[in-house]
Amino acid sequence: MRLRSIPQLVFCTALLVAGSVSAFSAEVPLHQQIDSLISAGKPEFEAQAAPLADDATFLRRVRLDLTGTIPTVEEVQAFLADTTPEKRTLLVDRLLASPEHGRRMQYVFDTMLMERRRDKHVPAAEWRNYLRKSFLENKPWDTLVQEMLTVDGTDEKTRPAAKFLLDRELKAEVVTRDLGRLFLGRDLECAQCHNHPNVDDYLQRHYHGLNAFLSRSYLFKDPKTKKMTIGEKAEGLVTFTSVFTNEEGKTAPRMLDLPEIPDPEKKKVLYKVKPAKNVRSVPVYSRRLQLADAMTNSDNIAFQQNIVNRLWAMMMGRGFVEPLDMWHADNPPSHPKVLALLTKAFQEHDSDMRFLLRELALSKTYQRSSHVSVDAEYPEKVNFGVGLLKPLSPEQLAWAMMQATGVTDKTLASVKAKQAKVDAKKGTKQADDPQWQEEKLHDALKGNVTSFVTTFGTVGAQSSRFDASANQALFLLNGPLVQSWLKPSGTNLTARLKKLKTAPEIAEALYLAVFSRLPEQTEIEQVAAYLKASQDQPDMGLPQLVWAALSSDEFRFNH
Amino acid sequence: MRRNQGCNPLDHQVARRQFLAGAAGGAISLGLSGAPAIAEQVQGQHKRILQVYLQGGVSQLESWDPKPGTEFGGPFRAIPTSVPGMHISELLPYTAQRMHLLSIVRSINLKTNDHSQGRLFMEKGRRAGEYPYIGSIASKYLAPANSELPGYIHISTRGLNDSTSAFLGAQHGQLKFEGVKPPKNLGLPKGLDQTAAARRIQLRQQFNKQFGRGRPKSMTESFDVSFQQAAKLMARKTFFEKEPDGKDLERYGKHDFGRNCLLARTLLENNATCVKVTHHGYDSHAENFNFHLEQLGEFDKTFAMLIDDLHERGMLESTLVMVYSEFGRTPKINVRYGRDHWGTAWSIALGGCGIQPGAVIGKTNEKGTAVADREVDAGHLFHTYLQALGIDSTNDHEIAGRSIPIGDPTADAIKELLA
Repeated sequence: MRLRSIPQLVFCTALLVAGSVSAFSAEVPLHQQIDSLISAGKPEFEAQAAPLADDATFLRRVRLDLTGTIPTVEEVQAFLADTTPEKRTLLVDRLLASPEHGRRMQYVFDTMLMERRRDKHVPAAEWRNYLRKSFLENKPWDTLVQEMLTVDGTDEKTRPAAKFLLDRELKAEVVTRDLGRLFLGRDLECAQCHNHPNVDDYLQRHYHGLNAFLSRSYLFKDPKTKKMTIGEKAEGLVTFTSVFTNEEGKTAPRMLDLPEIPDPEKKKVLYKVKPAKNVRSVPVYSRRLQLADAMTNSDNIAFQQNIVNRLWAMMMGRGFVEPLDMWHADNPPSHPKVLALLTKAFQEHDSDMRFLLRELALSKTYQRSSHVSVDAEYPEKVNFGVGLLKPLSPEQLAWAMMQATGVTDKTLASVKAKQAKVDAKKGTKQADDPQWQEEKLHDALKGNVTSFVTTFGTVGAQSSRFDASANQALFLLNGPLVQSWLKPSGTNLTARLKKLKTAPEIAEALYLAVFSRLPEQTEIEQVAAYLKASQDQPDMGLPQLVWAALSSDEFRFNH
Repeated sequence: MRRNQGCNPLDHQVARRQFLAGAAGGAISLGLSGAPAIAEQVQGQHKRILQVYLQGGVSQLESWDPKPGTEFGGPFRAIPTSVPGMHISELLPYTAQRMHLLSIVRSINLKTNDHSQGRLFMEKGRRAGEYPYIGSIASKYLAPANSELPGYIHISTRGLNDSTSAFLGAQHGQLKFEGVKPPKNLGLPKGLDQTAAARRIQLRQQFNKQFGRGRPKSMTESFDVSFQQAAKLMARKTFFEKEPDGKDLERYGKHDFGRNCLLARTLLENNATCVKVTHHGYDSHAENFNFHLEQLGEFDKTFAMLIDDLHERGMLESTLVMVYSEFGRTPKINVRYGRDHWGTAWSIALGGCGIQPGAVIGKTNEKGTAVADREVDAGHLFHTYLQALGIDSTNDHEIAGRSIPIGDPTADAIKELLA
């Protein structure tokens, strides 16, 4: 049997690469280093690679990726008119500092970490609020994970962070698997009963090493508050038997192939709080508290690589390792040098996710068009030389549709107007506060977002596949929610289109609002022909013109 | 190469087969008809599946494997059936008279007592991993290319939304009906007539054509297929809304299950490929006997009528019928006169297309506490269902450069059950 320790192997590669690039890394920004490495050693790369996306496409793309929705018409116009050379950099910085960025990351990480499972012990609203605040203050990834894995749910202030463990009810097969998948990029499920039969790197001791951190912990219902919390015993060992070979094994807590973390010498006093009926026991030495340290320790390179891979996938549409949780020798990263470079930089920047997202957004690799000219061939393998299509998440789709149809603007104007009166009385200025606006807008429209999540979201592990179902299409085709946004009212999109006289004006307004760009001549003609054909039903013409655009591929994907 | 020994999640296969790490963003290839090799196998008659899922775990002792007069046998008798020597519970008198059309497997051991694990195992033929449900496989390989209905329809009155199609793609996922209610949003929006509706679809396609040039098709195709499926359903809106015939309703029963089975028949008559009807509520931890008396009373006559109708219409030859649960119930009767979860030794009934009728496969010991002969699990059943339908379950799904075994390679079909 081949035994191979991937973390260590990749770690060595990381050091080698880091050595070779460090000579110029001081002067060359990370995003440029990414671009050099993506094409390095591939003479055919430039011929196949797509040019940078135009300004409008870039604006839409980065707005969706970093803030979860499409730009407003005014933003598109301003960005197109802006002649500042570094306007893309300024845009990225502005978006990363916006309250909307916190919300977008809340959605991404909530879906990633909780996989749209039903609430058990910690209300989703509190957990999401915790996530959003963490991203707004740019909490480092390792700190966030430390919090999630150390809190025991007894303190109301930190309880939301315990959702990861509490809502999985500390079930070994669920928690261990998800620690492996979500934090280490390795789905160790099969290694519960035996060394993985086909993946040499996934061993039974890896699974049980992770399990050993939590095997002494248990769910405890607080008799006073009736809330579920986490208690822990001072003793208990993890042993396992292979169902194939009957080989017996035992392990102390460990991260994959890193050394075991032995319990300290046994002291006479084992407990801070002794186990008893209706008492939550607290040991002097807690294995569970070692989990967070061992996980986020810089030796645990798998942890760093996993988040780099996931953030890369979020921005680029595909991970270096895909599926994101199938990291092993036979499924190695597509661009190991880029991965090593980013992992090192991420560590050097103290697990700063905003820093990493910024560098990714500024890279040429991120900014390439998703379109190859008609004669060029589409590259057979993903080489990140052409932008990939990314299906909008349910949340992105909901917010983008509301932005396009004018629902967002209308709602924001109304909550601001209401608050302005209060402000005038109290002498406050809340209505002008972007953070306040984002929260109020979100609260006002979250029901609509939920409808989209119910229809377009899937429970359980997220896959990189894009699937669309008949129910989703019916929701878009005939559902009352989308239809209600199409009726002309106030200053919404169809009302604005209705006031316009000529087809080119209508086409331009439509394209700016829905596709975040200006129409081409053939597209103007297409809109004109449609309007002419639907002259007999003017009431239906404009709303369904908007519908067709909203339901199109160009709108459905971030391209 | 090492033999894969029982634990079979997808990633094992993926690793073994070393599919290209760079293959087109994990995209799937689309196409309404199945792979050519499998299409050839099932050529000719349109084969279908009727799944009757007794949700919660029907008691084998009160249905297909009665043990009257034994320690755990419970109060009900066993009655003879239309097959000489085959006895089933007296709670199923109508079904008993149709057993010459059906068979029983009495020796299932799933090694799990968990609702969700048992259900997934029974549907996917695998203990774990992202595999398609049998209904999705039927939709992929059996549904005619020009089918007017989605391939896999599930009639249920509540509950869970499963992701059923795995790598076969969402168009093969189950379309769920809430009872006899048609899917939501089937009707055109108010004020929109057919002309305007056709125009908006045409315009949508024009937008897409422009966008699609110079871009890969895999994801956009999946999106387009969802609209095509929606159009099929919309075109058959009145069909879903039609009131059932009074006489039929009288025969089937006016309860939900009766109505749902009647809809299932109509769907099958109209060339649906897999129709699943869920009869909810067999999780009888308390009052198991009163409960089964009532619950199976509802099931028995309705199911018998449905079998009669399929038989009389000549459809049974091309329709595989499965009556199954996620597990059975404990022989031991608990203090609340209930029976608990029991995946260790229980039964299902099946028949129709490709299944030898009137057979009894395997048996449990005298008290019904363990399998005594011919132990099988959901992996074996899965191969059996598919081979009965003419699909070589030892073959692979060929999905965008990946080959994934259709059935668990460590299990095989119950050959003696195949006609």
